[in-house]
Amino acid sequence: MGSQTKERIFFFALGVPVVICLLAFFWIAATLFTGVGTLNMEFLTTSALQGGAFEMIVGTIYLFLGAAAIAGPIGVFAAIYLVEYAPHGKITRIIDQAINNLAGVPSIIIGLFGYTLFSRQLGFGISLMAGWLTLALMILPIVIRGSEEAIRIVPQSFKQAALALGATKWKSISLTTLIAAAPGIVTSVILGIARVAGETAAILFTSCVIITRGLPSSPLEPVMALSFNMYVQIVARGAPPESVFGMALILFFIVVIFSLVAIILRVYYRKKQPWLH
Amino acid sequence: MSSKKLNKISSFFLNLKSQPMEIVLFVSASLSIIILFLMLFFVAREGALAFSRFGSDLLFGMQWNLESDLFGGFPLLYGSLMVTFGALLIAIPVGVCTAIFVSEVLPFYLRDPIKSIIELLASIPSVIYGFIGLLIVVPFISSFFGLVSGQTALTASLILSLMTIPTIVSVSGEIISAVPKTYKEAALGLGATKWETIKTVVLPISKSGILASIMLGFGRAIGETIAVSMIAGNQAHTPSSYLEAVYTIPSFIATHMGEAAVGSLEYSALFGLGLILLIITFMVNTLADTVVKRGAQHG
Repeated sequence: MGSQTKERIFFFALGVPVVICLLAFFWIAATLFTGVGTLNMEFLTTSALQGGAFEMIVGTIYLFLGAAAIAGPIGVFAAIYLVEYAPHGKITRIIDQAINNLAGVPSIIIGLFGYTLFSRQLGFGISLMAGWLTLALMILPIVIRGSEEAIRIVPQSFKQAALALGATKWKSISLTTLIAAAPGIVTSVILGIARVAGETAAILFTSCVIITRGLPSSPLEPVMALSFNMYVQIVARGAPPESVFGMALILFFIVVIFSLVAIILRVYYRKKQPWLH
Repeated sequence: MSSKKLNKISSFFLNLKSQPMEIVLFVSASLSIIILFLMLFFVAREGALAFSRFGSDLLFGMQWNLESDLFGGFPLLYGSLMVTFGALLIAIPVGVCTAIFVSEVLPFYLRDPIKSIIELLASIPSVIYGFIGLLIVVPFISSFFGLVSGQTALTASLILSLMTIPTIVSVSGEIISAVPKTYKEAALGLGATKWETIKTVVLPISKSGILASIMLGFGRAIGETIAVSMIAGNQAHTPSSYLEAVYTIPSFIATHMGEAAVGSLEYSALFGLGLILLIITFMVNTLADTVVKRGAQHG
């Protein structure tokens, strides 16, 4: 057997798993789409008290927006420090390691921690606030890593030009580097949102209840969420999976749209940033 | 006044406003360390009661029985490891092959679209994986093997492998793409085929990165809660085959926290299990980090 044929066989063998991955995604999407008939405007806009999903959808949006608003700025600040200020030393290495470890903590543990610290110790109870803070812990590493990369690829000369004009280090960074890195930073926040919009374990004990009367009127009230409701209906109440088809589809749409926007933004701005070529 | 001194003074004033900002930046960056310490502290504090009462029985005891105050987590640990290994058995070959294929073999214009789809696979929420599992995999397993219930360790492993593959692909893909082009060109220039180049140049260099990606996949799989608790059958025993129901540590915590009275022994035991899980993932993640850094030094 010639080495050419051998190579073809190897590459074919390597390609099979790729096809499996692709098929898996389309298979999941196709399965979900079989339930598209259960979706209608009424389901989206009626209150959960009348069998709709309105409070769950808005609750899900409340949860990820608040979490992103908390984790976004902190994550960007952390990224600026790591790229522009951090000395090459032990502390920086420990911070780096800590971010990786935080990203790897299982969401159920994040939930246990959020419950003890935010719900009980700080007295937020089962509330939107406790959910925001808990989910922010999950977004934070994603925003830090994404922003770090976005800031790192901005040429030093941008910042040096501002420094030469007499701007302070912070001013030069915030006026040049940050603006050039903005698309990358926004992408990382959207990616973070995509990761937590469907999160269940972290909000299980911290912010959700199965039914509320209307939307929460303050951050200290509990919320409903699509993911939480799906889980509790099936696991605790033993409902057949078909009964939550509508919620699954909406949640899938939300997550896929956010992921796609992040992916498209990244590809688009990579092309638009001429200094990368 | 010498110009050096003047410089020093002027730069001092220019930097003055930067100082408070620098502190904010440093605190933001250090927050991850603080959070991790708080996490260890709080989970350990709540679990302390159970650990002082049962010690290692929390990890190796065979029975979890509320009435007789028995809190042994061994069946749960066993279940966790079982579904995790099952998932990795599928995810490692599929993930590593995909990473090699996407970063070395695939034409350039196809790389980004396929990476994007795998990334989408990673962002699907676990509750939806559980839902899909219930809808399709559970009935399939039950009819294929003629079981009363299709909620088995195998079902959980199958779905879990789908959730682990993106981690392995993205981490090892990154490492494989980072192999310097000149190395590959040198091999090709000596007459090696593309496959020989991959085998003799690319894989040896990225070996440690691939190992790290497997460890991260392990951490991801062992901590997965929601999907597993929806499809694994949730029975706390040590199963003898993959066609039996299992309970894992995270899904046990998720289903029992709601009913455990705050401060009770059960409550504390659940946090004890949480602490065990947290320590396992800490060790795995730290090890993966070390492996990557050591590999980077050699490469």
